[in-house]
Amino acid sequence: MSFLGKLLFKNKTQDIVSGNSDSGLIKGDELKRSVDGIFGRSLFVRLVDSGSCNACENELAALSNPYYDLERFGIKFVASPKHADVIIITGCLTRNMLNPLLKTFEFVPEPKFVITAGDCPETGGPFKDSYAVCGPVSKYLKVTMHIKGCPPEPEAIISGFLRFMDMLKTSKI
Amino acid sequence: MDKIMTSKHIIKSSDFIKLANNIKESGRYLLGIVANDERSINSKFNIRYFFGGKNIIDEYSIPVDENFQSVSKICPAAKMYEREINDLFGLTPLGHPDLRPLMLYPENWDFSVHPLRKDYDNLIPEFKKYGDYKYKEVSGEGIFEVLVGPVHAGIIEPGHFRFSLAGEPVLQLEIRHFWKHKGIEKICEGKDFNEALNLISRVSGDNNVNIAVSYLEAVENLLNVEVSERAKHIRVILAELERIWNYVRDIAWIFMDIGFALPAQNLFALQEELMRLNKSLTGHRFMFNALVPCGVSVDFDSSKLFMVDNIIKKVEKAIKECEAFILNSSTVLDRLEFTGKINKKTAEELSLCGISARASGLPRDSRVEFPYLIYEKFNLKPVLRESGDVFARTALRIKEILLSVKIVGGLLFNLPEGEIISLCENRVEAYKYAVGNAETPRGNAFFYIMADDGGKIFRLKYIDPSFRIWPSIQYGVLGNIIADFPLINKSLNLSYSGNDM
Ligand code: SF4
Repeated sequence: MSFLGKLLFKNKTQDIVSGNSDSGLIKGDELKRSVDGIFGRSLFVRLVDSGSCNACENELAALSNPYYDLERFGIKFVASPKHADVIIITGCLTRNMLNPLLKTFEFVPEPKFVITAGDCPETGGPFKDSYAVCGPVSKYLKVTMHIKGCPPEPEAIISGFLRFMDMLKTSKI
Repeated sequence: MDKIMTSKHIIKSSDFIKLANNIKESGRYLLGIVANDERSINSKFNIRYFFGGKNIIDEYSIPVDENFQSVSKICPAAKMYEREINDLFGLTPLGHPDLRPLMLYPENWDFSVHPLRKDYDNLIPEFKKYGDYKYKEVSGEGIFEVLVGPVHAGIIEPGHFRFSLAGEPVLQLEIRHFWKHKGIEKICEGKDFNEALNLISRVSGDNNVNIAVSYLEAVENLLNVEVSERAKHIRVILAELERIWNYVRDIAWIFMDIGFALPAQNLFALQEELMRLNKSLTGHRFMFNALVPCGVSVDFDSSKLFMVDNIIKKVEKAIKECEAFILNSSTVLDRLEFTGKINKKTAEELSLCGISARASGLPRDSRVEFPYLIYEKFNLKPVLRESGDVFARTALRIKEILLSVKIVGGLLFNLPEGEIISLCENRVEAYKYAVGNAETPRGNAFFYIMADDGGKIFRLKYIDPSFRIWPSIQYGVLGNIIADFPLINKSLNLSYSGNDM
């Protein structure tokens, strides 16, 4: 079969093979069970970039490539905040993005959760001392969970989702 | 490298206006405009206009007190730079057609505060509304507007797009950017070259290696050091690998946007493999911090070289197949050809660079025009297309991937021996400045850096290719249907972060 027409992965809940030889596998079944159990088969996520360097967005977009293909476990990035359960925020939160961010959050129906991804939203990252930055995000919104990294690698984001669902299960939120 | 001629002219603002036409007719194009508050040195602001041509950079330096003559009417490419200077320095370009605030939003910023002036007291204005931003208006029977963003439907960066339509075709597009303005230039001031590199790598993360190459060209020029041949070779390999993964991703998105999911996903998988390779080579999927002042922080051993060799062979095969697939598929061609056409005249007037310029027939490639590192020895010729449409930009990316594969392939097993970091203890002369150029996957990255009297950064200006190219989309979409906008946008694939700075 030629390169363009090849089917890379066939099994729906196949485990995710890590790019780092040391961090092993992410169990597809486990992820699927969590999403099925807690979010009724679909965890809908809306992204807001509040002033990133774009590497964080690249990694979030990578979650849809065939290696990770998050949608097969029921985790989907949606177009409208009105469809979302979670908003995931990247970037250092610039002054110019504060209102769009708060507005987007407002439109997410209850119950809603905020996850921040990357060092920027947590601390402002390397941009924290700027006149144009008003972060961190936690000044304005209650952050349920943070995923570390600059940028967090796709596996770290997936583990983040798992951790988030564990927190819900044990109702630590 | 020393073959690039730089000529410097100090000139009055009123005289520069008269000259601007001649400069334009000589075929030089605007590389950037850099304002600098030099009142502590010579009691003036200075505005420097940089024009480029093959092996030539012309600099016109204009001492300014509080306003200067706008050249936007002669040289439309100057428009955004002059608005930026109006915001950040409070120097007014007289006769400028559009002086609305650019990055300092009246919705939250007091316009009497100009943060890049040296006497700015670091007090941040209270967050409240100071005024309105007036959008352009298009009116007439049957005309309606479609507003998109700043927060978009997909996983992309924020920007605001306003389409005015009459029926299907787009009559006008107005873009409002700078939602992500982070004030990076200001944060760099007072930092040393190492500290600033950390920020520079995060200007536009997906192009960080090539941007760092340009930054280090300027820095090493200031420090008067020459990096070792081995380091130069490694920098080129990493820069070309970045180009390859960027273009593989870009082509994947183009397939995605025309509904060809299977080829798109296979290319996304290839991108993932390339990013995993980056990680094996440098410890980071985007290769952050692989370059350091005076050298590189990663060395190659034979196992790494074989890894690279394997994957570029795979890329070459895949991309050739892509090329054949596109050329033999009428449904693909139908979507790509004649869509989002930016004609040569527009490209010239807007001083475009990179793929966007080359797709419209302008031979602009910093690797050829201002050869840096070891690019001179490859004898590159800019790969050109004339049609200026989505097809041209896609076809160019394919050709350029093959070119990068050839460059990398040729270097892998010919790496010169030596240190990867050169010793550099030189101090920079006070208030000396230098410029840097490099070709990122999007086009020319331009740095202007002036050192202070303690060897730290006095002023750093970075011009991302996206900053130059964004306005051209407003022409590219005219007459197209709105449903083709995402495709046109992806075919340019500009950085919001690099633009907004
Ligand atoms: S956390 Fe790092 S990678 Fe993510 S946006 Fe910030 S600087 Fe970029």
